[in-house]
Amino acid sequence: MKNLKKYLLLTTVLIAFTSCSTDDNSPVANDVNLVFENTFGSTPIVLGGETSATATTTTSSAGQIHHFSELKYVISNIRLVKGDGTEVLYHINDLDRGATVIDQSKVSSLNYVMSTIPAGEYTQIKFGLGIKQELNTLDQFRFPDFYAAAGANDTQMMWEWGTGYRFTKIEGFYGADNNVLSIHSGSTVEGEEGVESSYTQGVDAYREIVLDLSTSAIVGGKSPKITIKADFNMLLSGQSNTIELGSGNAVPSVHTAVNMVKFVDNIGGNGTTDQKGMFSITSVTN
Amino acid sequence: MMKKSFGFLFIVLILASCSSEDYESISYDNPDLVLDIPIDFPALNNAVHSNRPTKYGVELGDRLFHEKKFSTNNTISCATCHAQENAFADNNSQAIGIEGRIGLRNVPPIQNLAFMKFYNWDGSKLQLESQTIVPIITHEEMDSSILEVIEKLQGDAVYKDLFQKAFGDSEITPDRIYKSIAQYEYTLISANSKYDRVKKQQGETFTAIESQGYQVFQQKCASCHSTPLFTDQSFRNIGFPLNPDSNEAGRARVTGVSSDYMRFRVPSLRNVAETAPYGSFGQFATLDAVLDYMSDSVLDAPNLDPIFKENGNKINLTAEEKFQLIAFMKTLSDDQFLGR
Repeated sequence: MKNLKKYLLLTTVLIAFTSCSTDDNSPVANDVNLVFENTFGSTPIVLGGETSATATTTTSSAGQIHHFSELKYVISNIRLVKGDGTEVLYHINDLDRGATVIDQSKVSSLNYVMSTIPAGEYTQIKFGLGIKQELNTLDQFRFPDFYAAAGANDTQMMWEWGTGYRFTKIEGFYGADNNVLSIHSGSTVEGEEGVESSYTQGVDAYREIVLDLSTSAIVGGKSPKITIKADFNMLLSGQSNTIELGSGNAVPSVHTAVNMVKFVDNIGGNGTTDQKGMFSITSVTN
Repeated sequence: MMKKSFGFLFIVLILASCSSEDYESISYDNPDLVLDIPIDFPALNNAVHSNRPTKYGVELGDRLFHEKKFSTNNTISCATCHAQENAFADNNSQAIGIEGRIGLRNVPPIQNLAFMKFYNWDGSKLQLESQTIVPIITHEEMDSSILEVIEKLQGDAVYKDLFQKAFGDSEITPDRIYKSIAQYEYTLISANSKYDRVKKQQGETFTAIESQGYQVFQQKCASCHSTPLFTDQSFRNIGFPLNPDSNEAGRARVTGVSSDYMRFRVPSLRNVAETAPYGSFGQFATLDAVLDYMSDSVLDAPNLDPIFKENGNKINLTAEEKFQLIAFMKTLSDDQFLGR
């Protein structure tokens, strides 16, 4: 009897323990490396100040030479799609674990490691340029890490007045006189979070990017590397708009949300006919 | 026997550690406040219905509104810029935050906000609960963060007690902070000016000049400064001198609509005599200066308000009419509201 009680006790304890642990039965898991290459055409971008001799320059369709001194954008809502259409969601509702600021001035930020991806053969990647509306609230309480990263003094990816994150921040110079170029984007939508029909005002600058992988990324045993090119020639000379910079649109003062959308459609696609914007797959290495 | 008890206790502990269930909160008496809604005021903002002011919610909000710990260096509170004697605005051209940092715009008064559909001069926010965070985190205002604020408030027995009374337990969360401050602001209703008392016909009357001013007001001002709030809550470009700050675009910054460029929300005229200077970034030192500018000639723009455009970019006012108008506008000051 005494023994029986002991066993019962032990069993109960074990059950209690078991019910505490969260199941981790994911199949063979592995990393996927996303490498971001920011370019003008096929030339990697080198940042530089107003009179920099080393900065990469490019000339827009409208004939304006320009270069950047700062180049940042936010990637979130990453999904990997298998050949059969199954989507693996990568912390899509957790900015701390599933969103990142790509910053051309920080080499480490250009390589984003996604961990514990279920084994399989992936043929497509989807991600968001920016942050979807329902998470775009500067909620430090929910996502302290991403909040800190985006809000850091050397990053400044926040629009405090709009209580949302900056999705892109591009600083630079254009034209023979090196006029200032300052292009920022972000959403200003108001309404019930995530319910598009309730949006009563504002601009949604979040863009969904869909890229087919040139070679399948095979996860399981190895860590595939997916190299994604962001061709910033598209900023001014994109599929949606050919933009000539001037006093009316080169700096935030007057670009307002009206002009902002043109830049956003160029680099992030218009959301309907163009879901690539400036992005393309350079290579997949297994 | 002893052993058995330990075993049992052990199990109980484990089970307890598994559950994340809220413990039964101590019952508390925190009645809804009855808002004294003035006759003919517009409908309440919908957000009020899901965040009804309560006795302790408002008491907590009031305390938080005056709490300097909201600023990163503990020097300013909401009330620093939103001072009661100025209808919860101040007398600076543009807001002044910590370390004397200058903000983009003129401080808006906080009055009758429960009845407003838009907040801020560009209407960027549609409910107060989501506005509160903006000054806390803005570099030119308090330059803090909500977790920094919560950390500073934690451990303060007065707050523990107030959060407990207002929300049922003493946990300090961002949402509770936003809600209680909004609740407090909902109670800031100004509707007891001389104008209101004259309207109620309880014996008080306008002087001759005030009465003439009211006539002029109805003819030349009331199409925009309409309703008992003295604003139709529309956004208009009325050709005021432009803010050179590179972040200013008026309502277009929010909506992305070109025609909203440099449009601002029509300000309420309640307590207007107490909120100088005027204009989105305090362009005008006095009411006289505003009226002189409007009757002289405003800046032209493609989206200049039709009322100006169709009238030679101005509103015709004689010196006498201006004098009368200002006398009338002074009757919109609410001494009780201003704490006089």
